[in-house]
Amino acid sequence: MAKEPVAVTVDRVTRIYKNVKGRPDVVAVNEASFVVAPGELVTLLGPSGCGKTTTLRMIAGFDLPTKGQIRIGGEDVSSLPPNKRDTATVFQSYGLFPHMNVAENVAYGLRIRKVPKSEVDERVKRALALTGLSDLADRSPGRLSGGQQQRVALSRSLVVEPGVLLLDEPLSNLDALLREQMRVEIRRIQKSLGITAVYVTHDRVEAMSLSDRVIVMKDGRIRQIGSPSVIYERPDSVFVAGFVGKVAFFPVDVLGDDGDACSCSIRGKAVRAGSRAPGVVAGGKAALMARPESLVLGRPGEGVVDGEVRQNVYLGSSVESFVTTEYGELLVQIDDPAGKRLAAEGERVSVSFNEERVRVLPAEAD
Amino acid sequence: MPTKQRLIRYLAALAIFAAADAWIFATLRSTLRDDAARSRDSSLALLADSAPEDLGLIEDWLASVPESLPGGAAIYLVPSEDDPYAYDPYAADPAALDLWLELEPGEDAQKGLESAYYFENYASPVEATLADTAVRLFYAPITDEAEGELLAIAVFMAPEAGAPGVERLLTVFAIGAFALFAALTGVSRFARDPTVGYAVLTLAGLSVVFIVFPLFEAFRLSFVKDGHASLAVWADALSGAHLQALWGSIRLGVWTASTSTLVGFLFAFVIHRTSARGKKFLAAVAQLPVISPPFSLTLSIILLAGNNGLITKQLLGMDNFSIYGLGGLVLVQTIGMFPIAYLTLAGVLQGLDATLEEAALDMNASRWQVFRTVTLPLATPGILSAWLLVFTNSLADFANPLLLAGNYRVLSVEAYIQVTGRNDLGGGAALSLLLLLPTLTAYFVQRNWVSKRSYVTVTGKPNLKLVEVASPAVRVAMTAGVWLIVAFTLSLYGTIVAGCFVKNWGIDYSFTLANIGEALTRGKDAIRSTLTLAAVATPIAGLVAMAAAVIFVRKTFVGKKALEAVMMTPFAIPGTLLGIAYILAFNKAPILIVGTGAIIIINYIVRELPVGIEGGVASLRQIDPSIEEAARDLGADEGTVFRSVVLPLVRPAFISSMSYTFVRSMTAVSAVIFLISARWYHMTVLIYNFSENIRFGLASVLATTLIIIVMGAFGLMRLLVRDTGAFDKSISR
Repeated sequence: MAKEPVAVTVDRVTRIYKNVKGRPDVVAVNEASFVVAPGELVTLLGPSGCGKTTTLRMIAGFDLPTKGQIRIGGEDVSSLPPNKRDTATVFQSYGLFPHMNVAENVAYGLRIRKVPKSEVDERVKRALALTGLSDLADRSPGRLSGGQQQRVALSRSLVVEPGVLLLDEPLSNLDALLREQMRVEIRRIQKSLGITAVYVTHDRVEAMSLSDRVIVMKDGRIRQIGSPSVIYERPDSVFVAGFVGKVAFFPVDVLGDDGDACSCSIRGKAVRAGSRAPGVVAGGKAALMARPESLVLGRPGEGVVDGEVRQNVYLGSSVESFVTTEYGELLVQIDDPAGKRLAAEGERVSVSFNEERVRVLPAEAD
Repeated sequence: MPTKQRLIRYLAALAIFAAADAWIFATLRSTLRDDAARSRDSSLALLADSAPEDLGLIEDWLASVPESLPGGAAIYLVPSEDDPYAYDPYAADPAALDLWLELEPGEDAQKGLESAYYFENYASPVEATLADTAVRLFYAPITDEAEGELLAIAVFMAPEAGAPGVERLLTVFAIGAFALFAALTGVSRFARDPTVGYAVLTLAGLSVVFIVFPLFEAFRLSFVKDGHASLAVWADALSGAHLQALWGSIRLGVWTASTSTLVGFLFAFVIHRTSARGKKFLAAVAQLPVISPPFSLTLSIILLAGNNGLITKQLLGMDNFSIYGLGGLVLVQTIGMFPIAYLTLAGVLQGLDATLEEAALDMNASRWQVFRTVTLPLATPGILSAWLLVFTNSLADFANPLLLAGNYRVLSVEAYIQVTGRNDLGGGAALSLLLLLPTLTAYFVQRNWVSKRSYVTVTGKPNLKLVEVASPAVRVAMTAGVWLIVAFTLSLYGTIVAGCFVKNWGIDYSFTLANIGEALTRGKDAIRSTLTLAAVATPIAGLVAMAAAVIFVRKTFVGKKALEAVMMTPFAIPGTLLGIAYILAFNKAPILIVGTGAIIIINYIVRELPVGIEGGVASLRQIDPSIEEAARDLGADEGTVFRSVVLPLVRPAFISSMSYTFVRSMTAVSAVIFLISARWYHMTVLIYNFSENIRFGLASVLATTLIIIVMGAFGLMRLLVRDTGAFDKSISR
């Protein structure tokens, strides 16, 4: 199934739903632009209603942009119907044809493409083997488990060797364990085929673990594009920081910038932060973000802020301490807790942070 | 108490009751027989007195004996000239003479002769057989005026004394009493909650009496001719003329089913699979014919295209055109029945997951390919279902062919003519049973095969986004077709309304209001009785349907499947058959209700129950049983649970089922036409009578009145229940 991978370009695409009966129009996608490189897996991540599925459906051709252009492999496909586009979608509800068995479902796209019978059989067999479904070829979709149906849907999309594989929350109907397995499997297959893929999800763990790059969206706008580590460690906004992981924020006054780093004060106490987002300038208000793993507990008065341990949650490889402070409840992660002395619930402590690992973000405007 | 002990006590109680029952039965029967024998003996003695003394007249008298003694005969014995103890026998019936000669030497016969010799009547206790009939001999002396001399002895061979009808009735009651006692005590002893047991018993009892029994009677009596078992009725039913009618019914059914399914699919597709405008209006019009009274569409067609039709005669001046026959019937039935197909297919196309079509498009299938490989195959079970449902309905249809068939023969009308024209109930039963064959076949194929093959979305929530499978040009063409049919349907209704105000349609089109006054005056009683009957049947049918639904969904008991099957059967049975079966079964004791309003009400309830039950079952399946369990847990018994929890929860189904029963009762004709009486008349039959007598104005007024009443009921139901899905579904079943 080796085929030269293609790039997908979404160029200033806007989708406005005209609403009848006097209600205001809905801007589902607003001036979105990004490029998916050949062979890359990019995830559209965001809360529901952020426009990620609409973007995917516009790439597939189920929905047409109000403005802007979509290019697949350099060709403008903006106004092509789905059946004229080199994409294949794995649907959230799978969309398996109930009147066909597994093999017929997988063969459907090949039949439409008038691929010779012998080749159809061969390719279906290979696709089913790839997803571990060889034994179920004769089953009807209604008699498969959720995970198996998911694999059939994946095989059906892969077997036509699409230029672009589109996945619309493909794992949301599966239970937690199966979801983890399929996540790994989808990534393995995508990598081994070197196929360009766009993946839509609202699950940040899924997005982090699968993607080459993540596009975070909110209210129809792209908020940040970057590799999972960039999105997690160096978010550009309070929203992105909060959406992709647990985080604590401290309101700060920015004192001065020093290249990527910057100095600021928390209630008059001077601190340094290892990095700052674009838009953070000296003299302004800002938010300092700290992930639970960069927070440290100490004796009262020694840290940035004092507080009281409300609850310890034991997780095996770590303990999460919830500390009540004047900045609200802070989550402190203590790794490898075995043998360490933990502050008892109700004990007064101070919280400080690893200055290299914290980042200053523009104060949230919206 | 341990089960074994309970069982023993139960059996003991049964045994005691059985003994008492048998004793009462035996006593009553012997009293009855003695009485009958006494009255027969005295009447035989009187008969003997009527014997002529003149031997020359004896032959005539003997020949006339069977008139007063059906199935019997007499021998007239005159003492022999030579031997006063020997007799010369005279007889009109050679078989009787043979029997006498055979019996005469016997001890019993000698005893009889001796009694007569001493002027005593003698009733022999010994049974003999005369021409396959059990008879007893009765010896009566015939004397001269002074009773001094024995002139002759009359020996009557009288069929078994007693009243067989009364005795059979007595047996029925004795067995019935025992069964009732056994069932009631059984339920109260063994059922965990007797309420359910009693409810099941009641339903079973009603089903047996009002469904199984009449159908059995119709079946049985189709094998009886002039009181004897015979295949003559069936020989006649299967003769060429009637088979031609069966073939006519089937041909009509196939045509109507095909065109209706096509039109229904067109409507369903345009309304549910395209972005056409005015969908709500289209859907409303598509359901109109279902609730319109019988004869109304036919009446309208006759007004427009009949022998004196507005379009054919007045406008086009056609003289040789005839709407009567297969073509006209297919047209009228299609307009009347495509809604059934529409509602079935609307459900299918509505529930079709658009993701599937998207997936196919995504696999580069063209619109036509998507339709052919995905939409159509997924709709196929629905299409088959719709076809079979319309086929069944067309076969059972009685009203349209009655007015419009002309020389074309269909079985339902043939059965009606057999009953009303030739007064041959058994023949009518046979013909309508013949009709049952294709109807039942279609019904069971639909229920047990096609409906199991339906594809519902396999996983997840269906994507309700619309995928335009039809290309713009095709869409425009289909939408135009749909609007054309809508316009035609509406013009048919317009014609009926117009018919109210026209003096003499076809001849004199001047405006008049006279029809309204006359029709309402002449139809006053019919309107009142039609409304009364429907109003009484409606709540009963609703309550019984919901109770039955609860029992079928929530309870388990022995014979549930059978009871369910029996209670659902009337749906598949042509009204003609049920009507004939009811006259056959209920024009005699023990249940003599022909001519009363009760028989019509019961008929309504039995016929409309299946639809109500289905609605209730569907709606109960949506309701978590734990809600009822919670009520029970809090101390409510079965009756209270039903009243306080179930009924409110299934309210939409309950109200739909009631309005369905009301509408159907108001528009009934096929069964009710056999059951009406002077006291209990039905508007639809009156419409028919007016139409037959070419009083189209009067018929139009009554049809319009009926449409208004039915629409009113329909509107009221829409007000009471927001979600009318259950009703729509019930129509399309």
